[in-house]
Amino acid sequence: MNAWRITFAAVVALVVVYCTGCIDAGPAASGPNLGNATVVRYVAIGNSLTSGYQSNGLYKSAQDYSFPNLIAGQLRLAGANIGTFEQPYYSDPGTPGADGKASRYEIISLVGPVIGPRGLTPGVPTNTALSRPYDNLGIPGAVVFDFLDTASFTSKALPPRSNPLFSLILRNAAFGRNILSQARRLSPDLVTFWLGNNDVLGYATSGGASPSSPTPSTAFAALFAQALDSLRAALPTAKIVVANIPDVTAIPFFTTLGPKIRPSLPAGVTLKFQNHGETGPGTGSTSLTDNSVLICLTGSTYAAYLGKPGGKWYRDKAYPALPPGIDTNQVFGFHPQNPWPDALVLDPAEITTATNTIAAFNQTIAAIGAAKNAALVDINTFFNGVKANGYSWAGQKYTADYVSGGIFSLDGVHPSSRGAGILANQFIKAMNEKFGMNVTYVDLGAIPGIPAPLAKTTTGIPVIPPEAFSELEMLWGAR
Amino acid sequence: MTRLRQVAGGIALSMFLVSLAHAGGFQLNEHGARAMAQGGAFAARATDGSAIYFNPAGLGFQNTASVYLGVSAITPATAFYGPRQKNPGEKTTLVSMTFTPINFYVTYPVMDRLTAAIGVNNPYGLGTEWPRDWAGKFLTTKVDLKTFFITPTVAYRLTDYLSVGAGLSYATGSVLLERAVAVTSIQLPEPPRVSISMGAKGVGFTAGLLYKPLAELSIGVSYRSSVKVDAEGNASFNPNYPPLNLPNGAVATKITLPATGFFGVAYRPLPDLEIEADVQYIGWSSYDVLAIDFKANNSTTSSPKNYQNTYILRFGGEYTLDMLHLRAGYLFDRSPVKTEYVEPLLPDANRNGYNVGLGYDITEHFSIDVAYLFLKFKQRDAVNTIPETSFDGTYTTYVDLWGVNFGYRF
Repeated sequence: MNAWRITFAAVVALVVVYCTGCIDAGPAASGPNLGNATVVRYVAIGNSLTSGYQSNGLYKSAQDYSFPNLIAGQLRLAGANIGTFEQPYYSDPGTPGADGKASRYEIISLVGPVIGPRGLTPGVPTNTALSRPYDNLGIPGAVVFDFLDTASFTSKALPPRSNPLFSLILRNAAFGRNILSQARRLSPDLVTFWLGNNDVLGYATSGGASPSSPTPSTAFAALFAQALDSLRAALPTAKIVVANIPDVTAIPFFTTLGPKIRPSLPAGVTLKFQNHGETGPGTGSTSLTDNSVLICLTGSTYAAYLGKPGGKWYRDKAYPALPPGIDTNQVFGFHPQNPWPDALVLDPAEITTATNTIAAFNQTIAAIGAAKNAALVDINTFFNGVKANGYSWAGQKYTADYVSGGIFSLDGVHPSSRGAGILANQFIKAMNEKFGMNVTYVDLGAIPGIPAPLAKTTTGIPVIPPEAFSELEMLWGAR
Repeated sequence: MTRLRQVAGGIALSMFLVSLAHAGGFQLNEHGARAMAQGGAFAARATDGSAIYFNPAGLGFQNTASVYLGVSAITPATAFYGPRQKNPGEKTTLVSMTFTPINFYVTYPVMDRLTAAIGVNNPYGLGTEWPRDWAGKFLTTKVDLKTFFITPTVAYRLTDYLSVGAGLSYATGSVLLERAVAVTSIQLPEPPRVSISMGAKGVGFTAGLLYKPLAELSIGVSYRSSVKVDAEGNASFNPNYPPLNLPNGAVATKITLPATGFFGVAYRPLPDLEIEADVQYIGWSSYDVLAIDFKANNSTTSSPKNYQNTYILRFGGEYTLDMLHLRAGYLFDRSPVKTEYVEPLLPDANRNGYNVGLGYDITEHFSIDVAYLFLKFKQRDAVNTIPETSFDGTYTTYVDLWGVNFGYRF
């Protein structure tokens, strides 16, 4: 009898003892930290994607959410003493277009939707008194060649580049005559280097027309090797992060318009378009049922003219005379003699060119990045996953769809603020893995979405005025 | 003592605001303080009104009319570390709550060998509330599931050794789900919040068999069917942004509450000592998806759950000293939730339960039972969570459960 009493008492005692000592303390996670690394200065090198360019313009409220600025914020949380991350701010509504008005697209109405510039007076540069180079050296329109090019910044504002942003961002030759020397002057211990997108993107967004070919892969390999060699030589101990090139054919700039046009094709009628380099009658034909032919977002205005005789494209482009073989009395887009223009379509051969070029570029970036002990952000693989499955984050679902997907800004090419947050997190992930840091991620839920007037919405063909795209030509046109 | 006072306050405030929560999945296993004090190992004895739940055949051996009435107080404490997609070290704690499921059983021997009974209890429930603006707000901020089962039951003693019983359960329930709605594209002054409340009804049955081959040995088997419930209700979005076409209005869903079965063996090694071991099976695979239909735009939001069938091992005993019954027990409850499906809506994990309690026969007719159960959840890592959740992190949980029952035998 006593034995049972003792057993029972022992069980009770066990429970009491267990319960006082058994509450989990949680995982032994250290807070955000830099591991053994020190980061006193972070410099971002790149193009529009790095600059915070968004919705066809460079403006403060988007630059605040540039992915380097977001990374800088997270670095600070992890104990990096980097002070203010200096950027070449341009006050809202941002940089001017060719017409002198702010080029930024806005959602003018969700009915339509109508998207484009509002004709606002542009902003002004505001951080011009800074007596040193900017930490964000992302220059919209920059190609790999520009990293070492010492030609005067102002010359790039003239044709053929017509890009005034080199002068805005590099400003003063005394700070350094190219991007490299300005970066070196800042003695950064962390550098993100993401160039190369424009070496293929301009070819793609101009429908393979301007420029008519991407930077050749061999030239790119030489330029990229030279760039990273110089960067490593200038900053022997810096932590360098390089990112590769995403599949440009999956951005909403190419994937939006085709599916919107398809329902407007009459039964049995296909879209007649000019294949690569054609100026006269188009030999291309597509039913738009798959993605073998991609229609550029720049064609959104002309979609309304499909099936009607007329030559709006040629009037808008100020052709002195119609090209031989073109007959604008034929119905636009449905007749080979009044075809959908080459500049508004990425045909199968052009898609192949872009895809192969990107694959070759990415081999170069991976090989040379590894040789220079740089961390690699595999944006290409990441974005292919986003394209296939979207991107989920704590109950939020992002996709690569135009406007509604949340990742891309209104130009269909550049990330939105939230898209920049997703990018920043990919960089942070690669940095944590390579450098043993424990930098926490950007909270996407805390980043604002694209401003929109909250009116009733429909989903039609986005209406974007043709002149709105002049900035794209400036960014990636002739060079 | 502080904790005791808090629990007492909780009971006083919410005695009949029945709710929820804390066995694997959203099952509740607190249906009587006598069983609760013994790890819930009770299907081979089923000697009080809670036989209606544990094994209706137990009623066939009960020769007196009785009333058994009780309430439990359940206080879960959960912490979440994460999300890893943001900050693995960030800690969020569940808003402190106390749930008070009830049980109420009346038994009456209609004639020799035949006993009729009716019970009211809460076999399923769930409740979690997270801070309004926490990192998981797009997944859940609050859920409150309540069920009431009303179960008229009859049992017949076929021989002095064998009894069978069966009952019909009429189930009613309600569910409240609240969360923020993620609008990933355009900027909003604040995210809309959705509150979905639904009511549901369903019917199920129970059956059981209790066999006493020896005076010291009894074996019990019982089964409670799954219950298909059709839930209907209303969704309201606030603030409501017209361009988003948020589906305000009628919603509906179907849920199948899982079937469960007990197999237990009880043994009496000494005249004043009973011990029992049970295994309980729960057919959680019935809960594969939570799909809510929004009538306003004919859309459905589906949240895959893919629960697995699972079991609970229960051990308990009772030692009698005159009018006093000392009880203790242990249980192991295996989580039906696979790692990639762990979510803050129901941060489930394998758990060990340590039970103690006592009963006191105040008079020949009147008795009181109290029970305490400490449920210790194994620390649960949610990794590679499904895209719908995409919320990796670590959950720690423990739960204090108190039970008290009053019995009256005529």
